[in-house]
Amino acid sequence: MRAYLVFELRRLVREPRMAIFTIVLPVLIYSISSGSGGTVGDVTVAKYLMVSMAAYGALVGALSVGIAVSHERANGWLRQLRITPLSPTQVVTVKALLASLLAIPPVLAVGITATISQGVEFSAGQWVALAGLMWLGSLPFAALGLALGFALPPQLTQPVSMLGVFGLAFLGGLFVPVEVMPKALAAIAVWLPSNRFAELGWSVAGEHAPPAAGIAVLAAWTLLFGGLAALSYRRAAAQR
Amino acid sequence: MTEAVRLDAVAKDYGPVRAVDGIDLSIPRGQTVALLGPNGAGKSTTINMLLGLLEPSAGTVRVFGDSPTGAVRAGRVGAMLQESGFAANATVRELVELSRALYRDPLPTSEILATADLTGLAGRRLDKLSGGQSQRVRFAFALAGNPELLVLDEPTAALDVESRQAFWAAMRRYAATGRTVLFATHYLEEADDFADRVIVIARGRVVADGSGTEIKKLAGGRTVSFDHDGADPARLRGLPGVLDVRLRGERAMLSCDDSDATVRALLADGRGWRNLEIVGAGLEEAFLTLTATPGKE
Repeated sequence: MRAYLVFELRRLVREPRMAIFTIVLPVLIYSISSGSGGTVGDVTVAKYLMVSMAAYGALVGALSVGIAVSHERANGWLRQLRITPLSPTQVVTVKALLASLLAIPPVLAVGITATISQGVEFSAGQWVALAGLMWLGSLPFAALGLALGFALPPQLTQPVSMLGVFGLAFLGGLFVPVEVMPKALAAIAVWLPSNRFAELGWSVAGEHAPPAAGIAVLAAWTLLFGGLAALSYRRAAAQR
Repeated sequence: MTEAVRLDAVAKDYGPVRAVDGIDLSIPRGQTVALLGPNGAGKSTTINMLLGLLEPSAGTVRVFGDSPTGAVRAGRVGAMLQESGFAANATVRELVELSRALYRDPLPTSEILATADLTGLAGRRLDKLSGGQSQRVRFAFALAGNPELLVLDEPTAALDVESRQAFWAAMRRYAATGRTVLFATHYLEEADDFADRVIVIARGRVVADGSGTEIKKLAGGRTVSFDHDGADPARLRGLPGVLDVRLRGERAMLSCDDSDATVRALLADGRGWRNLEIVGAGLEEAFLTLTATPGKE
């Protein structure tokens, strides 16, 4: 399994297009919109938006694995892997790990931008906590990406993933804070994984532990998406 | 355990369509076997069941006494599938190294590259290969782990003559090491040239099983046809050199393995058979003869 992970990592490094793609938009949006002062709850807007955009980029990164999976399924590469000693579980695990790794570059990029342009100050411990939590917290999105990749043909996976990203980001309060959302939308937002994912980061910025309810919501979505991924994988495997 | 592959009454249905219709098969270790049949005969379905990619609807498949998936996981099987793609943006060498790393006792990289005639292409990216080169990479990926059983599904489809020869030369080098090789093809020549044993599959069944020479004899027959004028088919079947008789409208079609003797007998018969025709039976024709269901023409 290690060999397969190394093989995949090398491909990732060789073609950093996806990683760059996950960085550009969040950094751009952050640079445009973080000028205003004030606070959201107990966090300054500069820090709040830094986390929002990092979470948005992480979402794009984690979901993007589905597009690759869908191509590799269509062209037969995943089938070829199935007739090696590598087990399907190992393949899926490596893919999920890669997906979650793609969540890290945007967190770093937006963090650096925030530090330079807005003078955001985080302690070393906060940076580590932020990166670590955003990495772990991206798991449900990695699972969702895999579920889409195994279920949909390549030409559909990309638009559906993008729709998912924007829907989750918008409704989850990454573009517009939940605090200023209409009541009905805000009520939905707190049940979404994207909101609870960003909440991990906002908690770090506010220097307190993330609420247990948030972690429970994230865990529930992880189980749901993980189950969907397993189901769609089994169906895909049965088809070819 | 001297048996590499065993199929007992294996069948596979796709909805109402029966793709494989009860195949019994035993392949001893060390044999090079060709699975010969026309398109849609059930070769790929059989191979996919053999590799654990498909579950049979009925019957059992054993590979080295184990389930197909068990044998694959244990690294005892290498396979080259039809038209399987690669991960983009990796190189030939990386792919070969990946395959080596997945098996316990792989062949040395240089040997794999040499066997598959890829030495000069090791650094080439997989998406920058020609059709023939890609096919050799599939072969390299399949044999890298030094598997006890190598399965190849139509390995030379879409190859030009030169690549085809290079491929078979590579295959021969591998088979010479005493490994079991099973390959599917719809070329009788290939089956005859490279296999110790040829199993003919048509309409999901084994219709012939023997050495290349034996199968060639079956396939190399001729069809003699004429207006039957109400002749008794049983009597026609009794003529020398006749394997099978079919009546189609006014015509009697005789499948013959010795058409010269048949024609001589017909002429000597004195009934003045009209519109006599003799045509060489191609492989397709031979398959049809072998699989013709009596009374269902």
